[in-house]
Amino acid sequence: MPTLTDVGQLVVNGIMAGTILAVPAIGLTAIYAVLRFPNFALASHATIGAFAGYVANTAFGLPLLLSVIIAFVVAGAVGVATDEAVLKRFRPAGYITTAIASIALTIALENIVRFAFGNELRGYDLPIQRDWRLGAIRVGPQQVQNLVIAAIAMAALFGFLAFTRTGKAMRAVADNPMLASIKGINADMIGRLVNFVGMGLAGLGGMLIGLDTTIDPLTGFRSILSVFAAAVVGGLGSIPGAVVGALTVGIGEELCLLFLSPDYRSAVGFVAIVLVLTLRPRGILGQRAW
Amino acid sequence: MPRRTHEPRRHFLKTAGALALAGMAPAVVRGQGAPLQLGVLTPLTGAGGFDGPRMAKAMQAVIDEVNAAGGLLGRKVVLVVEDDQTNPEAAVRAARKLIDVTKVPAIMGTWASAVTSAVAPVCWESKTFLTTVSGADSITKLPHQGYLIRTQPNNHLQAGKHAEFIASLGVKRCFMMSIQAPFAQPTQERATEVLKQKGSQMVGTLIYDKDKTTYRSEVDQALKTNPDLIYLNGYAPDVTILLRDLYRAGYPGMRFAQSYAVTTKVLESLPHEVTEGVITVQPSADVASPAYELARKRLGIAEPDSYETQATDWASLVSLAIAKAKIATGTGIHDNVRKISQGSGTKVYSAVEGLKLLAQGTEINYEGASGPCDFTEIGDIVDCKFRYNKVAGGKFVLLKVA
Repeated sequence: MPTLTDVGQLVVNGIMAGTILAVPAIGLTAIYAVLRFPNFALASHATIGAFAGYVANTAFGLPLLLSVIIAFVVAGAVGVATDEAVLKRFRPAGYITTAIASIALTIALENIVRFAFGNELRGYDLPIQRDWRLGAIRVGPQQVQNLVIAAIAMAALFGFLAFTRTGKAMRAVADNPMLASIKGINADMIGRLVNFVGMGLAGLGGMLIGLDTTIDPLTGFRSILSVFAAAVVGGLGSIPGAVVGALTVGIGEELCLLFLSPDYRSAVGFVAIVLVLTLRPRGILGQRAW
Repeated sequence: MPRRTHEPRRHFLKTAGALALAGMAPAVVRGQGAPLQLGVLTPLTGAGGFDGPRMAKAMQAVIDEVNAAGGLLGRKVVLVVEDDQTNPEAAVRAARKLIDVTKVPAIMGTWASAVTSAVAPVCWESKTFLTTVSGADSITKLPHQGYLIRTQPNNHLQAGKHAEFIASLGVKRCFMMSIQAPFAQPTQERATEVLKQKGSQMVGTLIYDKDKTTYRSEVDQALKTNPDLIYLNGYAPDVTILLRDLYRAGYPGMRFAQSYAVTTKVLESLPHEVTEGVITVQPSADVASPAYELARKRLGIAEPDSYETQATDWASLVSLAIAKAKIATGTGIHDNVRKISQGSGTKVYSAVEGLKLLAQGTEINYEGASGPCDFTEIGDIVDCKFRYNKVAGGKFVLLKVA
């Protein structure tokens, strides 16, 4: 019989996992909101961010925070470049074609990373700390730190969308591209911007995952299904929805351990997708970007 | 004029055709001195491209010795080497060529389990003998009618040996965390059984999902059972995360893993305090055996590895079985391989030594460089050695080979 402590510990673990999942999920959903296709190339951009942060941290000896920023910027820049060079050309052919092209793109990018860095596992040059014990609950300092970084990134994004002119323009394009263009908003520019921010968040998420584990060319690919599940559960296209979805998937995956063997953990995300799409096809928070 | 010029060519074609037909006739019809061809099918490219060429080289070294000592059945032995490309489809094509065109009695060297599973039916249907290093339990369970042996320990043997070693460390409470893979459950069951026999106990097992970014809750489940040792039966990406999570949780006990899950690269990617004291295991050549010493000298390598020694043993076993059978056919090898590899005969440690005794009519028992080379009915080895390493300061230190 599980005790209250067991449940508490699982919820804490779920929040930690969910928060990290939320960062790339926001990226996926933001790109979907503006450009209207699920960009699976997010996986390789998460990997690229993780490797950019790795190079900054181990080769240049930069501290954690600076490395995280570099992960964001490099992944964002690659995101803009690949969109301009590849995906943009596919968009007139429809969202399914573009989504398939993004899968091809992610495989190509992943292999470029493999070509440059090889297949082996790599770890960041950061000390590892033992967990804190708060009563019977175990909390990892590193995970709290990741949670804080993820929270800051999300808060910054929300601030940007709510209070800046460009952020408002972005939301306008997401809500009604036609009306936005009549108002004189440059949709191309907004597209580039959302790619930069979305893929930057993917890169940041990739690095956060890497901080907790190790990185290799498959880092992003391994988590893309959970990220996708989080975005769909929350409502694809809704940014707060991505956060809610990520926490739901994160906590759900942990709590299922109370009555399921751990090898079924991944199934939870997909059961959640099926339930949400059956009972509430628009996702928990609907599909409005804001 | 043109007709005339064609005459010699036609004559040549007729002769060549006749020769080719003669080549297809049974070996006994052919003149003495025609070389005896044996097939080698190793991965020279693909995922096995690192091991394949070294295995082929080890076999060639044995055959060179056999040839220097007069060959087999009075004939020179030639290895016909094909590349299986670590690809089942390419492997089957190459095997067909070896069997249908070259007409080899034995094919030695398949590496990947998928390749062996594809090549094995082609072999047993044509009564060609196959030797392999593939480890999947399913391989020896194929209906191969005795036309297959493998020198690599299967999961069952490995799990039993690992459990014996764990019990020998004085571990009373063992927990096993396995990645979701075909080997997970059979390994857990066998280890549980052997631990119990040895007076230890498996206090719990779990199978975890791959591709997760954290295993904190799984670690919590394991720690609740208060184990002295946790056996991490996964691959490098997930075992790395488990080692981190165990360290963070403050687990003070022992950790045990396969050497392919905790590699030198894994040690480089993790802080030393996380990996300190981890014990790794891998199948090992029988480094104390005289056959190993002979293989070292023959290959000119300080430490031939498990694959090189297994290849050494195939070339030796096949040569000895042919000599014992007095005929170079797959069925001859099939009927005689156990007569020269196990039993009460005089122990021999090389093909040449065995050939001499066989010529005198003495019974022999070949003891290999990879292990004793005693086979069960379905072609699995009965016993082999394992190498145990312990991590100290981010480096592997040899504990023992046993």
